[in-house]
Amino acid sequence: MAETHSLQELQTPPVSSKVFIQRDYTSGTICRFQTKFPSELENRVDKQQFEDTIQTLNNLYAEAEKLGGRSYLEGCLACLTAYTVFLCLETHYEKVLKKISRFIKDQNEKIYAPRGLLLTDPIERGLRVVEITIFEDRGVGSGR
Amino acid sequence: MPGFSGGGIGGGVGGPASAPPRPFRPSRYVPVSAATLFLVGSTTLFFCFCPWLSEHVSSVVPIYVAVMFLFTLSNFCMATFMDPGIFPREEDEDKEDDFRAPLYKTVEVKGIQVRMKWCSTCRFYRPPRCSHCSVCDNCVEDFDHHCPWVNNCIGRRNYRYFFLFLLSLTTHIIDVFCFGLVYVLHHRHELDTPHSVVMAVMCVAGLFFVPVAGLTGFHIVLVARGRTTNEQVTGKFRGGVNPFTNGCLRNITYVLCRSQAPYLGRWHSPQELEIQPPFLRPSLTEAQLEAKVLDNGIQSSLLTDAPPTPSMFKYRPACNSPGRNHIIRGESLDSPSPTILQSSRHPSYRSEPSSLDGATVVGGGAGVRRGGGDRGEGPGGSGIPAGGVSGYSLTGRSYTSYPSSLVLSTGSHSSSIRSAHTAHNPLATLQSEGTTDTSYKSLANQTPRNGSLSYDSLLTPSESPEFESAAHELSPQKPHAPFHLTGVTLRGQSEMMSPGSPLQGYTSPFLSAQIAQQREGQLLQGSATFSSPHRAYLRAVSPTPPSSSGPPEAHPLIHRHRTPSTSSSSRSVMTNHTSSKPGVKKVTGVGGTTYEISV
Repeated sequence: MAETHSLQELQTPPVSSKVFIQRDYTSGTICRFQTKFPSELENRVDKQQFEDTIQTLNNLYAEAEKLGGRSYLEGCLACLTAYTVFLCLETHYEKVLKKISRFIKDQNEKIYAPRGLLLTDPIERGLRVVEITIFEDRGVGSGR
Repeated sequence: MPGFSGGGIGGGVGGPASAPPRPFRPSRYVPVSAATLFLVGSTTLFFCFCPWLSEHVSSVVPIYVAVMFLFTLSNFCMATFMDPGIFPREEDEDKEDDFRAPLYKTVEVKGIQVRMKWCSTCRFYRPPRCSHCSVCDNCVEDFDHHCPWVNNCIGRRNYRYFFLFLLSLTTHIIDVFCFGLVYVLHHRHELDTPHSVVMAVMCVAGLFFVPVAGLTGFHIVLVARGRTTNEQVTGKFRGGVNPFTNGCLRNITYVLCRSQAPYLGRWHSPQELEIQPPFLRPSLTEAQLEAKVLDNGIQSSLLTDAPPTPSMFKYRPACNSPGRNHIIRGESLDSPSPTILQSSRHPSYRSEPSSLDGATVVGGGAGVRRGGGDRGEGPGGSGIPAGGVSGYSLTGRSYTSYPSSLVLSTGSHSSSIRSAHTAHNPLATLQSEGTTDTSYKSLANQTPRNGSLSYDSLLTPSESPEFESAAHELSPQKPHAPFHLTGVTLRGQSEMMSPGSPLQGYTSPFLSAQIAQQREGQLLQGSATFSSPHRAYLRAVSPTPPSSSGPPEAHPLIHRHRTPSTSSSSRSVMTNHTSSKPGVKKVTGVGGTTYEISV
């Protein structure tokens, strides 16, 4: 049994389905994702963990879009340098996006990949959805 | 300066990778070339008579005009070359899906219903304030308008630069005109060739001043009101409330001081993560276990949180890996382990054991769960089989005792049947992305299992045709029901639908073949109430039921109990199903959206 499964185990398990966490537009066009726990993940991951992940994502995006002194200074500097500063420096939003990327990678490694799930960075979908890929749990069958 | 529309400064190179190449149209570049020519040309000519101005008026004049000109030019370049916020095309989806997506999806923005339209070119529902530009053939975030003078769309990412360009251009025109006027007034007696240049510059400035100033004023008003040109021109908020405004001051601050929005068309990063089974599973909490054991019926609270039927369909033993199912669905009642997944609440299952004696509670629960149609559900322990069998017969009886509980969510039954029967795997994938409507999904989530569905269809003959038609009409259908069905669901479903297949809903892989057969025998002959729901479900699924003995038996038995609640259930079903013409069914979604499903 182990031998017949060894080849399969070397490959990535097939994708069972995908869940899409849509944007939450109740507060306007700011980037926020719905924290409602999708039913497909009911038996794959803890509800609390999932909600924590999404909430952290939302907080990070709120930080990126924050209207603060930092973004204002960035704008002024850009105006003064005829926007050539964009060629040299990273904008605040881009910095936070990198932080979000790292966070998602971290979450995938720690929480979601061991449970056969994969979060896709929303920036790869134009910040419209958080795509969660559910992988088929083949290996459990070999336990019989 | 030819138009370089779609290019992203500070972002990716070129447009989003998924946009198809557009034919080269030189006529598109005429306005932007003219604008560039006038701007640069006029200012250059202005600098010809600047020395006089610096001597006789002030030396600051040329510096000021130069700074103004640079500011105008840089904003002009940013407005021209900056990506306006183009959404990359959604490539992942099934092509057939386009024809079945409902045209609109409603979301609530600050208490106001906003419609999101399906973009057939870009293959997603346009976020609020997004619009598809026909010139650029792209969906643009916070779409303002397509400006021919910069040969680019004005959207979220470059609206600030466009607005500042307008402001600075107006100021620049005023400056040039005024200084030219000063020069001309001082040289009125010497209007020969050198001075005629000044006159020409002044004429150009004066000519462009009127439309530019008008446009600037218009955009100042738009910014103050928090609207886009598109919204203003189409009259979206005429007489209504604009949900996207935050007050005049905040609106202005948003436009001028917000951080640069990100470029959305970036390259996909390769996935380096290794994902290998076996996977961890969450274990049931004590409260969940207790709820499962003691729950009397379909509790409303549990209903709202209950996992939907579709995810259970994935775990039928009939499909690829039978072993997987029972472990996944294994009873963690005995010993919850991280590898054994137990889905938390299945109200219909829970309804069974409550009426029965405590001893068989667990088994009954397990039995019921199996009976309910979750094929893969099996007892985690080995001591269950006997109890499970007895649980079956007991639970069978319990069906009659609790007709009302099963009738409870008949409205959602129909939707769950829909979910049960949706056939397309790729569609399901896409559709989840495209059509997830939270309210609709929660409705689906309330759906109990197949057992209760079939039971309902059994109880009222009038209902079952609806279920059948619902099943039929929905099997070819697509994503519009956001029921997140998977390929495994489909496979399991097809297994179920074949009349020759054994009644797998009630067969646990943990049981020996004998017991399974025994149970099957029971289902087919004995406990009519228990078997018939399943068969009725099969009947609902396909026109030819595997056996005809069950349902007629069950009908008189169940019908008695069901009569009072029939009308309510059929009513609730009716709200979801209204046929207006043959071959097309109109379904009213929760958000007030009407979908037409072709049967």
